[in-house]
Amino acid sequence: MSKKSKKLIRAQANATPEDVATGATAASEVDAGEERTWTFTFLGDVEPEPVDEKALHTLMQQWRHGRASRTLGQVLGDAYFMIFSLVLIGAMVINLLLNSQHGAAGCNTTACQSGRTLLPWVLLAGTAALTLAAARIFGPVLASAAEGFWLMDAPVSRTRLLGGRLRSALGLAFGLAAVVAALVAALSGMTLLLGGAWTLAIALTAVAMIALAALEQTYERTAVLRVLQALFSVVAAAVVVWMVLVAASIVPLLTPAWMAEAPWVLAIVAGVVAVVCGVLAYRRLSQIRRARLLSGGSLVSGMQGAAFALDLGLARDILVERDAVARGHVKPTPGRGLGVQALIWRDLQRIARFPKPLLGLVAAALVPYAADALGLGSFMPFVTGLALLAAMVPFLGSMRVLSRTGGLARTMPFSTAEIRNATMVVPAVLALLWSVAVYPAVLGIAGGTSRTPLDALIVTVSIAAAGLLGAVRWQTAKQVDYSRPMMATNAGGIQPSLIFNLFRGIDVVVVVTAPLLLGAPIWVSPAIALVVYMLLRSGTSMEELQDEAKEQQKLAEAQRATASKEKIKVQRPTR
Amino acid sequence: MAKRTPLLTASGITKSFGPVTIVDNFNLEVYPGEAIALTGRNGAGKSTILRLLIGADRPDEGRIEFEGLRMSETKPEIRRGMATVIDDLDFFPDLSVVEHLDLLARAHGVPDPEAIVDDILEEVQLVPQSGQLPGTLSSGQRRRLALATAFVRPRKLLVLDEPEQRLDVEGVAWLAARLKEERQRGLAIIMASHEPHLVDTVATRTVRLMGPKRQLDDEDADVADADTAADETEDAR
Repeated sequence: MSKKSKKLIRAQANATPEDVATGATAASEVDAGEERTWTFTFLGDVEPEPVDEKALHTLMQQWRHGRASRTLGQVLGDAYFMIFSLVLIGAMVINLLLNSQHGAAGCNTTACQSGRTLLPWVLLAGTAALTLAAARIFGPVLASAAEGFWLMDAPVSRTRLLGGRLRSALGLAFGLAAVVAALVAALSGMTLLLGGAWTLAIALTAVAMIALAALEQTYERTAVLRVLQALFSVVAAAVVVWMVLVAASIVPLLTPAWMAEAPWVLAIVAGVVAVVCGVLAYRRLSQIRRARLLSGGSLVSGMQGAAFALDLGLARDILVERDAVARGHVKPTPGRGLGVQALIWRDLQRIARFPKPLLGLVAAALVPYAADALGLGSFMPFVTGLALLAAMVPFLGSMRVLSRTGGLARTMPFSTAEIRNATMVVPAVLALLWSVAVYPAVLGIAGGTSRTPLDALIVTVSIAAAGLLGAVRWQTAKQVDYSRPMMATNAGGIQPSLIFNLFRGIDVVVVVTAPLLLGAPIWVSPAIALVVYMLLRSGTSMEELQDEAKEQQKLAEAQRATASKEKIKVQRPTR
Repeated sequence: MAKRTPLLTASGITKSFGPVTIVDNFNLEVYPGEAIALTGRNGAGKSTILRLLIGADRPDEGRIEFEGLRMSETKPEIRRGMATVIDDLDFFPDLSVVEHLDLLARAHGVPDPEAIVDDILEEVQLVPQSGQLPGTLSSGQRRRLALATAFVRPRKLLVLDEPEQRLDVEGVAWLAARLKEERQRGLAIIMASHEPHLVDTVATRTVRLMGPKRQLDDEDADVADADTAADETEDAR
């Protein structure tokens, strides 16, 4: 930094508020009204010195740390409530692990044994598929917009600059996968050695997938990753089906001797793939285009924004928009019908154009069978409702767009209720088809609670309504309004709606399925679902109701004032 | 002679954000075949007034009516008669340009929607982009699509917030001619604009806004002078 720059910065720091307001600092010495004589600065006629990328990074870190306004101690001091909560949750998790280890000793039913044997395979395939999906979306190697603008324009080695990013991605994948795998291993009552082996295998598989994705990123290819992701998803689903069939005693549980060695073999294979792909990817890091790196970085920024607002809907919007931009162009299809029918037809055409969410619906139809097979018993309706909620969300895309801002809805000649009803038609039909598929599970054929055909029908409809209405609530919930009064907490002022934002949709599933869990009369759940539907279709929020009430109050006051004036006028004697 | 009935009436509209009063006792009547241009500096309250007039925001005081109905942006009767192009227009990420227009025309029950959509697409010069998804359009093309949404459907009142934004010179000329034609056919228009050519060509009345008034700073606010405006001018705060 030059002496002149330092002088200017010092002058800015020492300036009084009045100086700042009037712009009277060392930087503004020239009067705007005067004829200015410009002086220009040019680079000297010398060769630039070689740049040390690490030193550049360190310099940026120093600047960032130098601007921190609070010490770590102060942050931790303010966050004592969160730390206390974490300790409490940690104690609960350990207690749960100890209990499940104790309970696992008595695992001698077919369902329990099938779950214990096959669950790590589901986890391994699922982790690989999820890791590949995340790696494809984010990069996995990425850079922020600031780095792209300030650093990548400089004559620096991109490999050295991005090497840390690759290592971070690999480390993050290992850490997350290891924690999840270790938790599942401990919960399913595996021995320490076997649990450790599976944890290692699953964590290394995640690392291998990230390394492979990074290598493919350097070639700007995604075909291999897509195929692998589909393959791992199919394997995970197939193992779940197998687990259900074993639990229902339709096929026997085979446990050949090699299955005990499998996690070690998988860990070695994944480790080798991770090292080979990782080294190759590192060598080719300089080949990644800046636009590709920044695209992942901007996505992370968007996701961070959505995460701070605890708004999963916004996070999904960002992903959907990104997907649409990547697709770019479609073959237009003519619409059909007039009025609300046009909206319904477009929803149908959407499914034909983007059929992938149907796979999620099929997977959600397996959940009640798997839940019964794993002995979740009375929790099955709740778990199944949640699965349907997740599967239904993509089918309510038009409802989301017509709810998130008023602009598009204003262009349509329909009331909010008409729009919501129309955009619910296609998802409701899909939920109905889903109900037909899960009805046998609710009857109890997979080993869960046995019900009469009529009871099973009412329970199925209730679960379908819970999932559908949960998804409607998830898609239509209003964004947090920061202009509303805040709630005082130990962590500072928080918007009350911010907390509920995280549980939107899930709250509907809880409310509708709770009577089934608590053994209330069977008609209570559909009745609650009907009330929830009436509330959701009207689209009226608590804030709007309050505004309306305020408006009415104002009107009544104005009328009272007018009436009292008239009264006085009448009482006045006339001459 | 039959008495003229205003299409939109705003009386005594006031809107404040904290201590700053952006709109203070604003009154307006808009008749069919009339085009009103709101002008004024950035932050003078043009967009705020438009948002209040279309029901996107609620005024602190005052009343707005459209064809005798109290303003609410969710009333289908109002949505049917009023077309708006303001900043909050959203698009379906998975529907193409032509599909958006087709959907809107059909939603409004336009007979032979495909013909009208084709004509409007040609007019806004988006035929080559008809199959594109909105996320891939340039900002100017998005603006043209937004304007097209107002033209493929029946309307009695058109509310536009700086419609010239991001349009090229030719685009602004087209817009001015189109809006003039719309007005001459009996459509009422309210628009906020910084584009003198557009205002001169389209507006029958210009309302120049003076800007916000701080509650604690009344003396300063009152000093602000009314600039003269073209055509019939109203001064308002």
